[in-house]
Amino acid sequence: MEDEKNHTGPLMIALQYNDLFDLDSISAMTASTNTDDAVPKDRAVTFIKAVQIVNERLVEQNKTESLLFEVILIAKECSEEIKMNIVESVKYYGLEIVKIFFCKKEELINTLQLNNVKLFLSTDKDDVYEVLHIGIPAAVLYEQSDDHVLNQLKVIFSGDVIGFSEDSLDSLSDFGFSETQIETFKEAKICMKEFAVLIGQMRRKFGQENSPLCICVLTAWGSTNVCASALKTLREWGLDVDEAFCLAGAPCSPILAVVKPHILWDGGLHNMRDLSAHS
Amino acid sequence: MNKPLMKEMHTFGEQETCNQSSPSKKPTPPKPQNAITIAVSSRALFNMDREQDIYEQQGMEDYLKYQIQHEIEPFAPGPAFPFIKAVEAVNTRLRELYPDSEELFDVVLMTSNHAHVGLRLINSINHYQLFIERFCMTGGNSLIGYLKAYHANLYLSADSLKVREAIEEGIAAATVFSPGKITEVPETQLRVAFDGDAVLFSDESERIYKAHGLDKFFEHEKAHENKPLDHGPLKGFLEALGKLQQKFYAKGQRLDCPIRTYLVTARSAASSGTRALKTLRSWGLETDEALFLAGAPKGPMLEKIRPHIFFDDQMFHVEGAAELGTVAAHVPYGIAQKVQSKTARDVKKDIL
Repeated sequence: MEDEKNHTGPLMIALQYNDLFDLDSISAMTASTNTDDAVPKDRAVTFIKAVQIVNERLVEQNKTESLLFEVILIAKECSEEIKMNIVESVKYYGLEIVKIFFCKKEELINTLQLNNVKLFLSTDKDDVYEVLHIGIPAAVLYEQSDDHVLNQLKVIFSGDVIGFSEDSLDSLSDFGFSETQIETFKEAKICMKEFAVLIGQMRRKFGQENSPLCICVLTAWGSTNVCASALKTLREWGLDVDEAFCLAGAPCSPILAVVKPHILWDGGLHNMRDLSAHS
Repeated sequence: MNKPLMKEMHTFGEQETCNQSSPSKKPTPPKPQNAITIAVSSRALFNMDREQDIYEQQGMEDYLKYQIQHEIEPFAPGPAFPFIKAVEAVNTRLRELYPDSEELFDVVLMTSNHAHVGLRLINSINHYQLFIERFCMTGGNSLIGYLKAYHANLYLSADSLKVREAIEEGIAAATVFSPGKITEVPETQLRVAFDGDAVLFSDESERIYKAHGLDKFFEHEKAHENKPLDHGPLKGFLEALGKLQQKFYAKGQRLDCPIRTYLVTARSAASSGTRALKTLRSWGLETDEALFLAGAPKGPMLEKIRPHIFFDDQMFHVEGAAELGTVAAHVPYGIAQKVQSKTARDVKKDIL
C-alpha cells in the first residue's frame, strides 16, 4: 500500500510564518531602522521546543534514527526585508527550522505537496479546513493558555472523525452537513491515518510513562461507542492512545484548556458546533 | 443505514428517529452547567482489585497488558455501582415528568487510567447498560482541571489522595470503601446519608469538642443554637438533591419521591441537635430523616436505613458502617483528619 513509502524518513511539519512570528513586530521593523528581530509567538515556540525534545529523545535511543520531526516554515508574500528578518530571527532564537519557503499565496498548496509535508499546522481553522479538503493533512496549532512547556508534545485526534463509520459519515447529510463538508471529513480521516501510522512508530519507541510524545483522542459529539471505535481503529493503525476524552456534546474548550494540546486534529469538525442548536 | 447512526450519534438523532424502537435508544446528556454532575472513578464504579494488585506488584506495563488481554471481560461492580444505578433510576423518573429539562444527574467517568484500559471500561459500561456517555481518561495526569471543567458536584474515588486534592480545591469529594458484606439496597429510590459536622456543616464545633471536651461542646452549641453553622464540603450536594426532590414534589410525588436523604449525626436530639436542624433550615434545606445518635455507633442504624452511600469525615464511622454492609465514603475535611486512624487502604498510592 501507499503507506509503505511513508514509513521512514522525516515527518515534515509545515508552519506559516505569521503563526510563528508576531506580525506587528515585523511591520515595526520595516518602519524603524534598528535591527531588532521579529518576535516569535509563544504558541509556536512551545510547539517547536516540544518537537525538539521528541527528536532528542529519539536520537538518544538510536543515533541513526531517520523518523524524526522536521519543521519547515512557509512565508507568503514577503518583502525582501521581512525575508531577511525571518531568517535572522530563526537563527537568533535558536529555532530548529529545517527550511524556509518563500512563495506566493497561490503556491501554498503546491509547496506543501512538493515537499511531502506530512502535516500542515495553522492557527487559522479555515486554512486548515481548505487544505484538508484538498487531501493534505492539516491540523490546528492549538492556543496554549500559558507558555509552560510540558516536556511533551501533545497530539489530539478527533474521535468523531476516526470513530464514525463510513455509513454514518454519509448520513450526516440528514443533519444539515453539506456534501463538501462530508467529503472533507472523509479526507481528514485518510490524512489522519497517514500521520497516525508515522507517529505511532515514534510513540512505540517510548514506554507508558515519561514519554515525550502524548497521544490523545477527543470525541466531542459521538457516543462512547464511537470513541471505542476510534480507539480500536487507531490501534489497528499502530497507534496506542494515552488519554481519551468523550464529551457527548459538552463544550470542548474547558477540556482543551486542561489538556493543552499542541496539535489538534479536528478534521474541520469545528463546523459541527453550530449543530448544538438541534440537540 | 440509520441503525449505526442511532448508536453512534444519539446526541443528534433522538428527535429525528424516535419512531424507531431501538435497543440502543439513548437520550441526550445534559449540558454540564445545568446538570448535577457526579464524577466517579473507575475503581469506585467497578471492582478492579485484581488489576490493582498487578499494578502494585508488577508495575505499569504488566498492568496495561493484563487489562488489554481481558478487554472483553466486563469488570464486576464496585462500591459506587449501586449508587450510580440508583442515580440513573432517578433520571428515568425525571425524564418522564420533565422531558425537556436538563436538570438531571450526569454521571461522568473520571479516571487517571490510561486510554489502553478505555476499551475494557467502555465494554463494562455497555455490559451493565449504564448511561455514562462522558469520560476523561487522563493517562496519569491530575483530574482537578477536568473536575472543574465538568462543574463536578460530587467526585467519588477509591483513591484517598485524589479525594484530598479535590477537597482542597473546593470540590465535594469522598473516598468510597467497599462494604464488608453485601446489603440489598432499593433500586427505585436513591438514599443518601450524611454525617453533620465536617460534612454538611463546617468543623467548627468539632474543634471545640476536640479542644475542650464534650461538656464544653454542649454548652457552646446550646449558646449558639440560633447561629447557623458554616457550611461543609457536601452542603452543595445536599442542596442539589433537594432541588431535584422539589421537582418531584411539584408533580405531587412527595410520598413516592425517588430521592431520600438522611442526617446521621453523633449529636444528640436533646441538646446539640437543635443547632444542626436550625442551620439546615436557615439554608432552606432539609433532610427527610434526621437521626441523632448521641454518640452511639452509626453502623446498626445505617444497616436499617440501607442507603446507597453514607458520607462521614471520620474513618472510625466509615469503617463501622462498612463492616455492617453500608457503602461508606470518607470526606477528608476538617480537624478530624489530624487525628485519623489510617487504614492500609487510605495510604496506598494507586493510579485510579
